[in-house]
This record gives sequence, structure tokens and C-alpha cells, in this order.
Amino acid sequence: MKIPVRLKFYSTPAILVLALLILAIGAELVNITLIVRIATVMFINLILVLGLQLFMGNSGILSFAHIGFMGIGAYSSVLFSMTPEAKQLSIPNLYPFLIPVHLPFWASVLVGALIAALIAAVISYPLMRLSDAAAVITTFALLVIIHVVLVHWDRITNGPRTLFGVDFYTDLWTSAIVCMVTVFLAYLFKESRVGLRLRATRDDAYAAASIGINKVVMRWMAFTASAFLAAIGGGLWAHFITSFSPYAFYLTETFVVLAMLVIGGPYSVSGAVVGTVVVTSVREILRSIENYLNIAKVFPQGVFGFTEVILSIVLILILVFQPGGIMGSREVHWPRFGRKEKDSSELTPSVDEIQGEEHV
Amino acid sequence: MINLEFVINILSLGSLYAMLALGLVIIYGILKLVNFAYGELIMIGGYTLYLLTGFTPLPWLVIAFLAVIVSMCTSLLTELVAFRPVRTKSLTAMLITSFAVSTLLQNAALLIISPRARAVTLPRIFQQSIMIAGTDVPWRNILTIVVSLTMLVLLTLLLKRTVLGIALRAAADNFRMTRMLGVPANTVISSAFAISGIMAGVVSLFWIGRSASVTPTIGAPPLLVAFVATVIGGMNSLTGAVVGGFVYAIMISLLGIFLPPELLEFREAFMFIFVIVILVFRPEGLIRSKTTVERIG
Amino acid sequence: MLTLKDIHARYGAITALRGISIEVQQGELVALLGVNGAGKSTTLATVAGVMRPWQGTIHFQGEAIMGKAPEQIARLGISLVPEGRDIFPSLTVEENLRLGAYTRKERSEYRRNLDENFALFPVLKERLQQPGGTLSGGEQQQLAIARALMSSPRLLMLDEPSLGLAPALVDQIFELIARLHQRGVTILLVEQNVDRSLEIVDRAYLLNTGLIETTGTPEQLRTHADFEGIYMGDKHRSKA
Repeated sequence: MKIPVRLKFYSTPAILVLALLILAIGAELVNITLIVRIATVMFINLILVLGLQLFMGNSGILSFAHIGFMGIGAYSSVLFSMTPEAKQLSIPNLYPFLIPVHLPFWASVLVGALIAALIAAVISYPLMRLSDAAAVITTFALLVIIHVVLVHWDRITNGPRTLFGVDFYTDLWTSAIVCMVTVFLAYLFKESRVGLRLRATRDDAYAAASIGINKVVMRWMAFTASAFLAAIGGGLWAHFITSFSPYAFYLTETFVVLAMLVIGGPYSVSGAVVGTVVVTSVREILRSIENYLNIAKVFPQGVFGFTEVILSIVLILILVFQPGGIMGSREVHWPRFGRKEKDSSELTPSVDEIQGEEHV
Repeated sequence: MINLEFVINILSLGSLYAMLALGLVIIYGILKLVNFAYGELIMIGGYTLYLLTGFTPLPWLVIAFLAVIVSMCTSLLTELVAFRPVRTKSLTAMLITSFAVSTLLQNAALLIISPRARAVTLPRIFQQSIMIAGTDVPWRNILTIVVSLTMLVLLTLLLKRTVLGIALRAAADNFRMTRMLGVPANTVISSAFAISGIMAGVVSLFWIGRSASVTPTIGAPPLLVAFVATVIGGMNSLTGAVVGGFVYAIMISLLGIFLPPELLEFREAFMFIFVIVILVFRPEGLIRSKTTVERIG
Repeated sequence: MLTLKDIHARYGAITALRGISIEVQQGELVALLGVNGAGKSTTLATVAGVMRPWQGTIHFQGEAIMGKAPEQIARLGISLVPEGRDIFPSLTVEENLRLGAYTRKERSEYRRNLDENFALFPVLKERLQQPGGTLSGGEQQQLAIARALMSSPRLLMLDEPSLGLAPALVDQIFELIARLHQRGVTILLVEQNVDRSLEIVDRAYLLNTGLIETTGTPEQLRTHADFEGIYMGDKHRSKA
């Protein structure tokens, strides 16, 4: 029986979403607060990782700025979702014109994400024509700039101090559902015209240019889309953790998200999912070990940083022995042992493929 | 405003930043890698100072020397264990590796020593000053200038007078061709990492010398400085790194004087905006080297 | 001295060499000819260790060398002057030459090679302390060859030495290659300039899209009925 391409195509996000659904249901059934929290954070992290995958996996460029946009999304969404009274309490120096603005939760997160996307669109366009190496360096510069601005612009962010008083909105199912939608979006982007073209430029810039693919525009669109997703994640996270400071959006979180993506496999959406689930699990196990050791005072001075040490070693090992991550460039799909049809996520989209592509 | 004190401050800061940038560029020039773990070498130097000054009776000069050695060895170790196996993969893999190594070293310090700051006993001369032309000049600044100058001279001698130095400069021009002449890749790269570690070690003496304490995250600010200075100088040139260090020192000091108070805290952001501007409009840096001119015919 | 057997090589998904077999005897001057993209430079790259063939063997003086690193190949006495010369622009002429002699440890040999190079290329002596990047194209080519000679190579490989040079310089280069050949240096030459090459070489191979189309002495090649057609890569011609 010939399996229609469409079924195989959509089986990837379907399988991933199903897996996430099972995890969500499982966490709900277990009903232990800690587990529910871990699951919620995992879904939020996955949104971030998917956003990064969308840009990094398709363009081949490492972006350090991603978490910066998470921060922009977090702070922007909070400015809209908090009541005027709460804002005046939490951010004493807030610009007066921002005080009365008040939107419901979903709208706040969305507006926050749009703001971040807008900023990303404006800033990043001139950067996308840079060489790969220079582009990476500029994304690092962007991260630092965003960080410094968040830390010091206390008329918006309350400066380096913690911003309190955000209402809790992001429960398990909120994060899970947004995450599942994001899986679809990331996958659709990957297989869309933009995604295919972008991957073509990644693998052979000259050939791609020769058929008229505009590398700069493709990259720019991917970067903006990924910033949007990062900001969604930031907005959700802000309304989960309910109090945060700018330091949550800097190198530490960048490392975590990057590790999740690279360990899972940066070239596929499945990689992002697998990496996030695996790293979250490992981290939580290690962290409970760390907590146990600290509570039992096995080492008098306390055990800190153990989790991160192990995680960074794992990351290095993956880079040395399996640089494509756990998934390589593969996506999960069904059937696995069907006829050998060309899976466009595995191969470099050839120039012919792009010109004669079928719109799915 | 521009008086002797200001000048000496700039010279001292600039020479420190120049050394800082050199340690980063020497690796970038050959491997095109921004070593994010470079800041942690300074941290390691600092922790060596802490452990040796706190727990051994050795004289400070010996301790300082050992700190530099430890820094160098750590750098070599990271190259051997983390960077060498990844070198054949891709530049992105190396960048991520350097980020991972940075996290690893930071958290190792957190784990093994403490998340809290540790005090480092400094030699008394670091608190003393000398009167020159009516101004109080801290000995620390003079020492920074002298030591940096010495290191610069030593490095220049190495690069110009020894075969290894010539090979290093050639590798920065064209790594593949250098190998084709029979120069082993590992020798070149290990040497670069060793020099980088030595620079970081010396910088740590004076960086810690300003705050007299060390934390696991103390490597981040100098990394950012080195980063900016390197880009300003054009990431491919060692003289550029030196110039970049001084330019950074001058710019940050001028910004400190001339920026209105509300914008003062954003100094660092301005420097990084400057970085992006340079990379977009003039990626070869602010220095035009004589070798970019080629005759035709 | 050098034997390539059935070498296959590729760049990613693109196959560059589809079964190249070549022989170079000691003291010979052998040319690899062909149009752009025929695989000539790739062949040199596999010998020099810059590229790893995924099939086939390369033997140099009896020793298997495929898969060895470039620095190891250089130490065996094989010197490649790449297309584009690849001199070090920020190093002086002298430093370029000094590095060329990296694999030779004896001072006397160094001095001797240096003096020979000064005799062959007087302009280098003039510009000894100038940075390589300030030399003209022709001077850089001379420097690149001189640098390769500093290591007293057993096998010298030249990739398109006349590329981008003015006609008078082209004459100079071919003259030089012929002179080196007379001195007994074994040379493997890659060139697009067929006529000039055939004037000086002992034998030549004609490459076409990763395969050897034909081989022989210059006389044999010139009288080959289809020579021009094959050279132009005209696959529709029937082979005589």
C-alpha cells in the first residue's frame, strides 16, 4: 500500500504533539506540584528551543540573541497584563503613559511578542547580510545590548531589581497547548518555501543565489519569526514565575536553551523536542541529587553547580561524538519502515526540488 | 580634565585591555574562533591567587608566576580535551564548545570552591602610590603599564624572531598553507592557546588587583572588554588588538566623562552598538594595515 | 615515484574525481591538463593531503600516503604551490621563505636554497624585507615557487602557475619550470595553458569531468585525432 506523502509529512508534528500530550496528561495525573512545575517549565523551554531551532536549524547561524528577545517579550507582556495599580507598586519609575495600559493575559503576551518581533525585524535586517562568522558575533553583541538595556532602563523594567507582582496565568495546559501549536508552526516553517530556501542557502550559497533565492530576506524572516516565538515563551514564563529580573535573560538561560537544542539535534524539530525532554529530565534528576546532597550535608560547603557541570560535559561530548545531536538531522515520522521516499528534511533541498516543489 | 592622572589611568587601563585583547585575538586569528572560555582563564588565575595566597606562605611574586602558569595549563587542557576533537567539525561546533567550556569552568569553580566571593590577599604595593609631578599615582597603575609593555615586547620578539612565531603569524594569514609547509596544526594551535592562557594569567593579576576578590563570574566582564577591543582592532591583527585595547580604554573613559548621567549606565551597550556598527560597515576594523594594499601587474 | 590508482574524491554531494590513475617517475615533468572543473586541482589536493579520497590509493616512493595530514605529506618531501599562490601577505618575503624551509633543519641547506632562489628570482632578494602582500601578482608567484623550493622537495606540484599573469610573465614562468626540470626536480604541473605546457613537459594527462580522457607524450597528444575535441570537453564526438 502506498503511503501518501501528506500522511508521512504530517506524521512528524502529529507524533511530537502526541508525545507532548502524553507528558502533559501524565503530569496532570501525577498531580504532584513539583512535577507539574517541571512539566510547565519544560513546555515553556521547548517553545524557546523551537524558536531557536527555527532560525539556527534552517540558516545554520548560531544566534546568541534569542534569549534577549525572550526578555523583551517577558517585560513587554508584563507591562500590558499588570493592572495600573500593580505596575505603580512594582515599577516605581514607570513612564506615566504606560501605567493605564491594560490588556488581558493572552493579548498581553501576543502584543509583547509582536513588539519583540518588530524590534528584531528592525535591528536584524542589516545584520543578515553579514558573513556567517560576523553574524554570530553580532548576535552576541545584541544579547549584551539587550541585557544592558533591560538592567539599566529602570523606567520600564525596574532595573536590576526583581520585578514582583505579576499575576500567575501560565498553568500546565496553557504552556502545553501553546507549545504544541509551536511545534506545528516550527515544522510548517521548516517545510515552507522560506524554510526550504533558507536551508538551500545554508548548504550551498552560490547555487541558491543562482536561482534567485535572497539569502538576506530569508534569514531575516526566520530571525524575526524566531524572535516572536522567543517572546511568546518569555511572556508565558513571566506569568509563570511571577517575579523575575533581567538576569534571567542572559548567558545562563542561553546556555540551557542552546544545550537543549544541540543535544537534541539542531537541524530538526524532533531534535528540539527530544533535546528539551532529555535535558529537562537529566537536569531535574541531577538537581534532586544536588538537593539531597545539600540537605544531607554530605559535603559541608554545599553542592552547587553540579548540574551545570554535568550538562556542559554532556554538551561537549555530543559535539565531539555526535555533532548532529541525538536526532542527527532526522525527524520522527510514520511509517518508519515504509517505502524509501525522499524525506525533504533529511536531504539538502536540491535546486531542482525548490523550483519544482509541491506546495503542501 | 586631561591631566597626568587621567593619562596614566588611560595608559594603565589601555595596556591591560591590550593584553586582554591579544589573548583573544591570537586564537581568533588562526581558528576564527571567539573563545568564550577566555574569561574563565582569568577566573582560574584569580582562584589560583586566592588559594595560594590564602593557604601557602609563598611570596607574592612566586604566586603570581604560578597563577600565570596555571592559566596557561588550563588553556592548553581545554584545547586538548574540548577544542581539538571538535576542530574538524565546524566553526559553530567550536563556538558552542567554547560556550560549554566556559559554563563548565564557571560552575566547577562554584562547585569546588564556593559561589561566594573569595578575598585575595594582594601585595602591599597595590595599595601604595607615588608622587609624580604633584599627582598621586598608584603603584598598581605603573606596574600594569610596565608589565604589559614587557609582555608586549616578549610577544613581539616571539612572533618576529622565532620560527614558531613566524608560523603563528602565517597560520593567522592562511592556516591551511602553513600546514602544507610542514608545520603541524597541533603545534600551532597549542602554542596559540598557551599564549592566550599566559595573557589571561597576567591580566588576572591586575584585574583581581583592582577588586581584591574573586567570584566564579569574574571572567565575564573582561571577556566582553576583550571582545569589543578585538572587533575595534579588526579581528585579524595583533597590532589591531593592542590598538583596540587602547581605543576601548579611551572611549569608555570619555563616555564616562561626557555622557549625561541617565545614559552613563548604558556605556557598555553603546560599546556593543559600536561593535555591531563596525562589523556591519567596516569588518576589517579601524586599522588599515599595509598588507591590504596590493599592486597589480 | 608517485602513483595514484583509481582515485575517487568528492566535495559533499558533488563527485570531483571518478577514478584517476596517474604516474610520475623521478625527474619527470608531467602535466595535468583540462578545462576548469575537470578535477586537476582536486587531484593535487588529494596528493597534498588537503583532501581525502574516499576510494583509491596514492603511493609516494613506495609509501602509502592517502589520508595523511598535509604536514606529514610535506615532511615526506612533497611541496604544493596552490592555485592563487597562497603566500602569506603579512609576512615578509624572507619570512615566507624561512617558513618554506620549516621541514629542513640544517642551516647550510637553508643558506644554499636561499642563494639558489636569489639566483633564480633576483626580484625576491630586492624585496626581501617587504610584506608579501605588497608584491605584484607575478612576484608573488615567484615567491610561492621559491618558498616551495626552500624545502628541497622531492616532488614539486604546481597548480596553474601562469594564471592571471601578463604574457611576458607567463613566458618567464614556463621558462623557469623548464629550467627546474633540467636541474632534475620532479614536477607535477597543472595547467590550462595547453600549448605552452606541451612545449616543456615529458608527458601529460588530459582530464575531463573527473576522469582521464587520454595520456601520452606531447607528440602523441598533438597528433591525437580528437585531441581538440576531447580537450574542449565535447562529449558528443565519437572517439577515434
